[in-house]
Amino acid sequence: MKAVKAVFRNPSLLTFLLVALVWLVASLTLRGFGAYGHLRYLLELAAVIGIVAAGQTLVILMGGIDLSVGAVITVTAILLPLISPAADPTGLVGIVLALALATGIGLLNGAGAAYLRVPPIIMTLAMATFLQGLLVIVAGGSAVTVSNPAVILLGQARPLGIPAGILLWIVVSIVVLLIIHRMPLGARFLALGANPLAARLSGVSVARNTLLLYALSGFFAGLAGILVLGMNRQGYVGIGDPYLLMSIAAVVLGGTSILGGRGTYAGTIPGAILLVTTTALITVVNASPGWRSIMFGSLILALLLISGREARR
Amino acid sequence: MTETRPLLEARQVFKGFFGNPVLKGVDIALHPGRVHALLGENGAGKSTLINLLSGALQPDSGTILVDGRPVGRFSPAAARAAGIAVVQQELSLTADLSIAENIGLGAFPRRFGLIDYAALQKGVGEVCAMVGLTEPLDMPVADLSLGRRQMVEIAKALFRKPRVLILDEPTSSLSAHEAGILARLIGTLRDRGTALLYISHRLNEVQALCAHVTVLKDGGVTADQSLAGIDGEGLVRLMVGRETGDLFPPRSVNVSGATRISVEKFSAGLMREIGFSARAGEIVGIGGLVGQGQEDLLLGLYGAIPARADHAEVSGLPRLPAHVGEANAAGIVYVPADRKHEGLVLPHSIAVNLILPSLGRLARRGFRDRAAEAGLIADLARRLTIKGDVARPVQALSGGNQQKVALAKWLPLDPSILLLNDPTRGVDIETKREIYLMLRAFATEGRLVILASSDTPELVHLCDRVVVLREGRVAARLSGAAISEEAIVGAAMGIHEQGEAA
Amino acid sequence: MSAVPSSGWLYGAIQRGRNRGLGGLYLVVAAFLVLYAVLFPGILSVSGFSKFTQNWFPLALVTMAQALLMLNGGITLAIGPLVSLGAVIAATTMGGALGVPGGILAVALAGLAIGAVTGAIVAHLRLPAIIVTLAGSFIITGVALILLPRPGGFIPDWLSTTLAGHTPVAFLLLVAILLAWKAFLATPLGIGIYAAGDNPIGAFRSGVPVERVKIVAFALSGLLAALAGLFVAAQTGSGDPVIGTPFTLNSIAAAVLGGVGFLGGKGTMRGAICGSLLLSVMINVMFFLGFPPVAQYVAQGLIIVGAVAVPELLKQWRARR
Repeated sequence: MKAVKAVFRNPSLLTFLLVALVWLVASLTLRGFGAYGHLRYLLELAAVIGIVAAGQTLVILMGGIDLSVGAVITVTAILLPLISPAADPTGLVGIVLALALATGIGLLNGAGAAYLRVPPIIMTLAMATFLQGLLVIVAGGSAVTVSNPAVILLGQARPLGIPAGILLWIVVSIVVLLIIHRMPLGARFLALGANPLAARLSGVSVARNTLLLYALSGFFAGLAGILVLGMNRQGYVGIGDPYLLMSIAAVVLGGTSILGGRGTYAGTIPGAILLVTTTALITVVNASPGWRSIMFGSLILALLLISGREARR
Repeated sequence: MTETRPLLEARQVFKGFFGNPVLKGVDIALHPGRVHALLGENGAGKSTLINLLSGALQPDSGTILVDGRPVGRFSPAAARAAGIAVVQQELSLTADLSIAENIGLGAFPRRFGLIDYAALQKGVGEVCAMVGLTEPLDMPVADLSLGRRQMVEIAKALFRKPRVLILDEPTSSLSAHEAGILARLIGTLRDRGTALLYISHRLNEVQALCAHVTVLKDGGVTADQSLAGIDGEGLVRLMVGRETGDLFPPRSVNVSGATRISVEKFSAGLMREIGFSARAGEIVGIGGLVGQGQEDLLLGLYGAIPARADHAEVSGLPRLPAHVGEANAAGIVYVPADRKHEGLVLPHSIAVNLILPSLGRLARRGFRDRAAEAGLIADLARRLTIKGDVARPVQALSGGNQQKVALAKWLPLDPSILLLNDPTRGVDIETKREIYLMLRAFATEGRLVILASSDTPELVHLCDRVVVLREGRVAARLSGAAISEEAIVGAAMGIHEQGEAA
Repeated sequence: MSAVPSSGWLYGAIQRGRNRGLGGLYLVVAAFLVLYAVLFPGILSVSGFSKFTQNWFPLALVTMAQALLMLNGGITLAIGPLVSLGAVIAATTMGGALGVPGGILAVALAGLAIGAVTGAIVAHLRLPAIIVTLAGSFIITGVALILLPRPGGFIPDWLSTTLAGHTPVAFLLLVAILLAWKAFLATPLGIGIYAAGDNPIGAFRSGVPVERVKIVAFALSGLLAALAGLFVAAQTGSGDPVIGTPFTLNSIAAAVLGGVGFLGGKGTMRGAICGSLLLSVMINVMFFLGFPPVAQYVAQGLIIVGAVAVPELLKQWRARR
C-alpha cells in the first residue's frame, strides 16, 4: 500500500509505469506492436518530441512557456539546406549555422520576456506568427530536399543497430538532467518558477536566467528540427507544427507543473514515449481523421487526469 | 460580565493535519458584548481555530455551537448566515474593483437580479463612515495603501452586519491613527452587543481592548480567564508560561565603526532626495507610518528598484548597487517583510531555501557540491535552532521559523550590511527575542543592521539610532536618550519635527 | 465622499473609472479609423459601414470569448475549433426540420454545453485551463470533421443576406451583445468573474461561488465563440470544419492589444473590444494595400509584441526619470 502511494506521489515513475503497462498490453494484443523494429521506431519518433520537450521542460520549470518551438523546427528544417555551404563536405558548418539561428531566435524570445516584459505566452506566440510569415516570404511555399551529409547521417545512421536520433536523445537527456539536478542553474530555474520575486531578492538574476533558458529552448528545438529533417529528408512549411502541442503535452504528462517550480525532465522522457505510443495506437484503429482527433484529445485529457492531478492551480 | 448565552462556541474541538494534531480539545465561547482575546505563539493553533469557527474547516471531533445549538456541517455559507464575519490577515480584496464593489462582494443588495448600486452606495457609505474611510467609493482598491486596504477589509466585514466578528491581527499594517479608529470601533460594536474575537501579537492592544482572554499553547488551552487586573507582565507570563526576562538585549557600549553607508540626495520609489549615513556596528531603525517609503529606501540600497543619488558610498562600492547580484557581492543582504511572497520559495524545501543565495559559491567546476551543501545546511539549522527534517517544504514551518530561514540563508555570505524590513511582523514573542538577540550580536560583530519596523517598542529599545520617515522624507533623526515612543510617533504623524542630525 | 448623491452616481462613477488607462488606446483606434476613412471613403456609406462591421463582428465576439476567460484568470486555446464547430453545426442543421431557429438553437446549446463541460473540468478537477482547452481543441475539431468532413452544408440565402448583406445588422447585433454583457457585469455573478480572477481565495472567502463563476465564464465563452462560427457560416454561405483556426491567435492578440492581462482580473471588456476593432482595421488596411497574406502574419507578430512592450518601455522610462 505504501509503495503504491509512493508511486502516485512520484509522477515521473507513474508515467514510466504507465508506458510499460501500455506497451505490455499492446504487445500482447496487437500483432507486430511488440516487435523490436516497431518499438525502436516508436522510440525514434519519441526522440524528436523528447528533444523539443527538453527545452520546453526547462522553460516551463521556470514558469514560462515556449509556443515558438514548432516554428523554430520548421525554420531550421527549411533553412538548413539553404544555408549549408556547398563547399563544406562534412555538412557540419550548415548544422552549426542552423543551431546558431535557432538559438538566436530563442534569445530574442528571452529578451522580449526579460527586458520588454512581454508575457512569454505572447512573446513566443508572436514569434511563431512572425516566423511563419517570414518563412513563406524567404523560402516560398515549396518543400526543400536536404543534401547535407551530416544531417542525413543523423537521420538514417544506426550505429550498433540503434538509430542515431535515439543516441542524440540520450545525450540530450543526460545534459538536461545534469542541468536540473546537479548544477546551480537548475535550482535557480526552479526557484524562479516557484516564486520569481523571492528568487530575485535572493540574488538570482531573472534577466540572465530567462535569456539563457529561452536560448536553450531555441537550441533544442533547432536540434530537433535537424533530426526531423534528417529523418524526412525534406523540409516544408508546417513540418514542425505538431511538435508544439506534443512538447507541452509530454512535459505535463511527465508530472511537471505547467505553472512552474516543480517537476523534472525524468518525467518528460516517459511522457514523450507515452504520446508517441498513443498516436501509434490510434493509427492502428482504422478511424476517420475526425475520430482520430477526438481520440487523441480524449486520451491526453484522460492521461492528464492520472498524472497531472498534482498540478494544482 | 453577567451570564449570557454565548453566540458562538467551540466545545472540545480536535483537528489534525496529516496525522499531526494541531488542536487537542479546545474550548472557547464568544459572548455578546465582550471583546475576547485569543493569544498564543505562532503554531499554537490560532488560525486553525479561527477556520473552525468560521466554517472554513471541519473539526475532526467536538462541536461548534451557534446560539447554544450545535451545528452539524458548518460551512462558510452557514457561518455567514449565522452572522459570523472574519477579517483575515491575508486580504480578500480585488485590486481592480472599486471600494464599494469590494465591500459588497458576496453580499450585494439586488434588484431584478442586478446589483442595486443605489442601495450598495448607501450601505457602503455607512460602514465606510464607521471605519473612517473617506476615499471616494468608486476608487479602485489598487490605488489604496496597504493600511487603507486593511480598513476596507474591516468595512467589508461590517457590511455583513455581523453578530460575531473575528479580527485576525487587524492592526499589523495599520498606522497609529487607523489603529485608534479601529479601537473606538471595537468599543462601539461591543456596546451594541457584538461578540468580538481579537487576535494580536501586540499585547498593549490586547490589554487596552479586551475583557477576556483564551491562551493557546501547543494546541491546548492554557488559560481562559478575565483580563481584569492582569498587567503586561502577567499577559506575557500567560502566553509563554514562564518569566520571559527582558525582551530586548542590552545595547552595546561603543558604536563607532567605519562608515558603511553614506548617500546624499537619495531617491527611490517614494523616497525624495534624502541624506542618510550609517556606520558599522550600529542598529539603525527606520520608523514612520506604514508606506512612507521605508521599503523603497531598503530596496533602493539593495539595488532591487531603480534608485538615484548625488553621492553614494555603500559597503565599499563608490555608487549604489545596480542590481541585487552586485549588492550581494558587496555584502549587502535584504530580509523582506512579506516572507511568504518575497522572502521564501514556499513550496521548496527548507534546505533549498537555505542554500539559494550560496549556490554559486558552493559549486565546484559548475556542478553542485552536495556534501558541502549538506554541511552548510546542517550548520545553519543548528545555529538557528530550526528543528526537524530540512527536506520538508518551508511552508510547513510556523511563521517564526520561516522568518528564521529567511534570515539564516544570508549568513553564509558573511554580510556587512543587513537590511531588514519588519522582521518580527506576525512572529511569536519567543522567536522575536531570538531575532533581537541575533541582531544585537550582528552589530557587536561589526556589521551594520538597518531595521525598518512598524513596531515602535522595537525601535525604541533595540536601535542605536532611529530615522523617522514621512512622505518620502526624513521627519526626524533620533539617537540616544532622544529615542522615545512619543518622539517617533510624533514625528511620524508630522506633529513636531526634530531635524537634528545624529 | 459627496453628500447624498443621486441614485445613479456610484454606478456611473465606477463605469467612468473603468476608462482609466484606456485613453491612449481610444486615441489610437480613432486615428486608425480616420486613416481608414481617408484611404477608403466607402466606409462612410451604409453599405461600406455594414461590410466593415461584418468583418469585425466575428473577431469582436471571439475576443469577448477570450477576454471573459482571461479576466477570470484563465485562457482558452479552443476558440478556433469552437468557431469551426459553430459554423459546421449551423450548416448541417439549418436545412433540417427545425430550420433556421433550430439551427441557431443547436449552435448556441453546443457552445454553452462544450464551454460548461470544459469549465467544469478546469474548476472541479483542478487541471490547468491551457492544457484542458488544448486537448479540448482536438476533440472539438474531431467532432466538426465528423459532422462535415469537407466544406459544404446549407445556409439559407435570406439568412446570409440579412446578417452579411448591405444592412448594418451585424453592428446592431454587436451593440445588443455588448448591452447584454453590461447587464451581466452588473449582476453579482458577473462581478464575481473579476473578483475570482484577481484573488480567488479572497473571493471564495467573501462568498463568491468561485467554481460556479468559472463554469459560467467558460460556458458564455463557448456560446460567444460558437455564435461567431454561425455568423462566419452565414458570411460564407456554407460550413467549413477548419475555418475558425486563425481566431484562436487573433482572439488572444486582440485581448492583449486591449490591455487585458494574463493573470486575471486585470483589464476591461471595453478595452478588449477596442483591441479587436484595432486589429480588424489593421488587417483590413493591410489587405486593401495589397500586402500578401503572409506579410500580415509578420506584421501581426510585430504588432502583438509592440502592444505589450511599448507601454512597458514607457513605464520603465517614466520610472527612470
